[in-house]
Amino acid sequence: MLLEVRDLHVEFRTRDGVAKAVNGVAYGVDEGETLAVLGESGSGKSVTAQAVMGILDTPPARITGGEILFQGRDLLTLKEDERRKVRGAGMAMIFQDALSALNPVLSVGDQLGEMFVVHRGMSRKDARAKAVELMDRVRIPAAADRVRDYPHQFSGGMRQRIMIAMALALEPALIIADEPTTALDVTVQAQVMDLLAELRRELHMGLILITHDLGVVADVADRIAVMYAGRIVESAPVHDIYKAPAHPYTRGLLDSIPRLDQKGHELYAIKGLPPNLMRIPPGCAFHPRCPMARDVCRTDVPPQAEVEGSGGARRSACFFWRECLDGRHDG
Amino acid sequence: MADTTAETILEVDGLVKHYPLTRGILFKKQIGEVKAVDGVDFRLGRGETLGIVGESGCGKSTVARMLVNLERPTAGTIKYKGEDITRLSGRALKAVRRNIQMVFQDPYTSLNPRMTVGDIIGEPYEIHPEVAPKGDRRRRVQDLLDVVGLNPEYVNRYPHQFSGGQRQRIGIARGLALRPEIIVADEPVSALDVSVQAQVVNLLERLQDEFDLSYVFIAHDLSIVRHISDRVGVMYLGRIVETGRDAEIYDHPTHPYTQALLSAVPVPDPEAREHRERIILTGDVPSPANVPSGCRFRTRCWKAQERCALEVPLLAVPAEFRFTEGPAAHDSACHFAEEKQVVPPEEPGGEPPAEGPESAP
Amino acid sequence: MPEPQQPEGVIAPTGMGGTMDLGAGEALTLEKTPGGPEGTGPQEKPRSLWSDAWRDLRRNPVFIVSALVILFLVVISVRPSLITSGNPLQCDLAKAQEGSQPGHPFGFDGQGCDVYTRTVYGTRISISVGVLATLGVALLGSLLGGLAGFYGGVWDSILSRITDIFFAIPVVLGGLVLLSVVTSNTVWPVIGFMVLLGWPQISRIARGSVITTRQNDYVQAARALGASNSRLLLRHIAPNAVAPVIVVATIALGTYIALEATLSYLGVGLKPPTVSWGIDISSASAYIRQAPHMLLWPAGALAITVLAFIMLGDAVRDALDPKLR
Repeated sequence: MLLEVRDLHVEFRTRDGVAKAVNGVAYGVDEGETLAVLGESGSGKSVTAQAVMGILDTPPARITGGEILFQGRDLLTLKEDERRKVRGAGMAMIFQDALSALNPVLSVGDQLGEMFVVHRGMSRKDARAKAVELMDRVRIPAAADRVRDYPHQFSGGMRQRIMIAMALALEPALIIADEPTTALDVTVQAQVMDLLAELRRELHMGLILITHDLGVVADVADRIAVMYAGRIVESAPVHDIYKAPAHPYTRGLLDSIPRLDQKGHELYAIKGLPPNLMRIPPGCAFHPRCPMARDVCRTDVPPQAEVEGSGGARRSACFFWRECLDGRHDG
Repeated sequence: MADTTAETILEVDGLVKHYPLTRGILFKKQIGEVKAVDGVDFRLGRGETLGIVGESGCGKSTVARMLVNLERPTAGTIKYKGEDITRLSGRALKAVRRNIQMVFQDPYTSLNPRMTVGDIIGEPYEIHPEVAPKGDRRRRVQDLLDVVGLNPEYVNRYPHQFSGGQRQRIGIARGLALRPEIIVADEPVSALDVSVQAQVVNLLERLQDEFDLSYVFIAHDLSIVRHISDRVGVMYLGRIVETGRDAEIYDHPTHPYTQALLSAVPVPDPEAREHRERIILTGDVPSPANVPSGCRFRTRCWKAQERCALEVPLLAVPAEFRFTEGPAAHDSACHFAEEKQVVPPEEPGGEPPAEGPESAP
Repeated sequence: MPEPQQPEGVIAPTGMGGTMDLGAGEALTLEKTPGGPEGTGPQEKPRSLWSDAWRDLRRNPVFIVSALVILFLVVISVRPSLITSGNPLQCDLAKAQEGSQPGHPFGFDGQGCDVYTRTVYGTRISISVGVLATLGVALLGSLLGGLAGFYGGVWDSILSRITDIFFAIPVVLGGLVLLSVVTSNTVWPVIGFMVLLGWPQISRIARGSVITTRQNDYVQAARALGASNSRLLLRHIAPNAVAPVIVVATIALGTYIALEATLSYLGVGLKPPTVSWGIDISSASAYIRQAPHMLLWPAGALAITVLAFIMLGDAVRDALDPKLR
């Protein structure tokens, strides 16, 4: 395993109380694998990623438990300067909003080259050449001419490419992309996702794709982990989950999105609202919205059960995953 | 669902909105113009939903703002029941506004944070006092809350005490207060969580039946537009490039931009990724301040030829389909229109929409 | 100054979102979600943003301390006799420059007047000049700035140029020039001067705030309903745009008090026999070596007053917008 997150817990302390953003998340990514982490806002998908990257603001955040094993080392036990070496060279992150993630007063060439100057001790000139090479690699037309341009001179799609180039600069083993295409238009989104998938194949990197878009996941992911209220509720190879979800939340999500190729009648809608993280319901956090909920769901936290016949590849945090697999909505 | 032969309630012709680009501080000099909307025509029938899709900067939101008179068009007419509303002012404008209401995209900025929910939904009655007598307003507000699925006891709460989906319901209740005939919804669900979007889409559909509403539904999400619309218009750089009934657009697109747009939408079906043809467009949408000559899509089009740079293609049924009866015979502004199936056809025995319990009210 | 406590999640309950949003657009929903339509979750009272801000202020020690100080100053400026029985103009030259003694804890000044009594009475001038100047500045500035921001166009451009011109005037130099020709011995010329030079600051804040607020969808929504301009301004824009004006005005109040003292010190502000900290500081400065207490007390009172208003302004800002920091 390239990266393995084990039983991670993150809290945010606020004046109004403690928000439990991540409650025992465990997932892993192999080299060359794409793991999609799917969830709504507040599901903890981004917080987990920030904890892995080591860019959580502490305070208000606090990692209260768990391990983050990267290439066999627990990142949470590393000192800050060792951790810094892992960032960039070992793993890199791509953000949703490229305009705010790039420094507006430095040319893109300087920002790309900086990585080589700082981490590799290259000369300015060599670093500039490397920057052009990277821009070529992410298919920015006329890279040599544009290397002196500033971020605002690029379109949204091109900026996102520059972010990808920056993440790739030191050839990290793992890339975490946090909603990399959410801010982009569909036609540009397709370009960027294609590029990302291709580079991942080419460089044999691990990719964690954080998204709320079930369509994007279906297009690129190998495995998928669905998060709800700071927990993973289902994890499975991507084909299985779309064929037959083993958790009522996943099923609800799949049924509630309108499809381009189908004009259905009424959409299925998950009732209620995502929980307040300061008052996560006891038992299974999804039970107030779940059509299958029974008494046990209100009192006991469901374990990560292995779905039979999956050879350990598939887990569901639902007591009634069998019924869910059978497609029965109301238990 | 209404059919296109229904009575036309809204008719838009040659709608144009250009914003001057100026320079200078006190004495402004015009140095160009942004062609946000550059000649849009459409009709909306009673009880019908017209979906307008397009990428950011295509002018769809500007169209919405002109429909509800938040912007004055540079040229063109918007006829509501035959009367041009673009030049109205004062009392006549106010009367028309009662009948065309808007639902905004961002539920966080569309509600005044200093007003209670009751005051927000009741404000339409203060502006149009003739609609409801004073003593009746509170009851009406509570009825509206009930209609959109919120607890009527929430009237004294403030917007920040609600979640995004609930706020959008409040915005919808405000839009309904005056019993309008037309609702212009500008990306009404795109700011909401996935699991909440379906609730709001279902609510909008239910309200349409209940109150006999006509919708102009503006969105960038093609799947949602297909779900809710009877007819669809695809916009690119200030113009509608293709329009027709939903099945005509989605299953038989003839404009290359529509085809590219449809093929780029990720479909939540991993099986589809192998046998789906994707058209990946190169480059970005040009700036509306600098629109290409001829066909405005030609800079990104794989079919573009010399003619495309010289001649502006008209939005009409293309010559090759003019005498056919099939679904490809719909308006498409392309010199080289041809049918191409990009969305995998609906499997007849495909997964039926799950029969779950009814959504939250 | 102690770091004010985080008024987290009070005005916008996602106050902490700033950190968690990090590039992800994934704002944690920490809202006090009232239970869904099903009525789950604890019931909750309606809370306006103002009452939230007030609840937050009450918990902020900076606010409590500065508010208590200001309350005390206001009370003694209205009724100085509450804490002193002396008369600030009753002086005994024989006691000039004498230090602290029973009944006269702060000692005597160069004219033999009781420094304690004069410092107490000086509060009245400082507070009234500060409050009146701030009121004038806030009213004029927010009216002009607000209208310019709302209507835009040519008047906005003209107003912006005028404010630029006023910003270019050095305050003290302007005071020296303008006030030296005034012979009236009341507070009004000083207040008038402050309003004249101070309104552009508030006007600029108000203009910016109105422009930001005007673009909000709820203003557009009201317009789409057919609301009149006065309704838009009074009901939608003003209540949402006023917060920065309040904050800046509160902080400015402190600086006007300091400015009054500066002008009086320079001899162009208030003149004796008016009792003012500035005048006392001015007359004491000649004797700073022999009798530092004469300078210490009025200067100390001035510093505490100015600080109290600035701290109050800070606390109010934190309460009105926890995300500002």
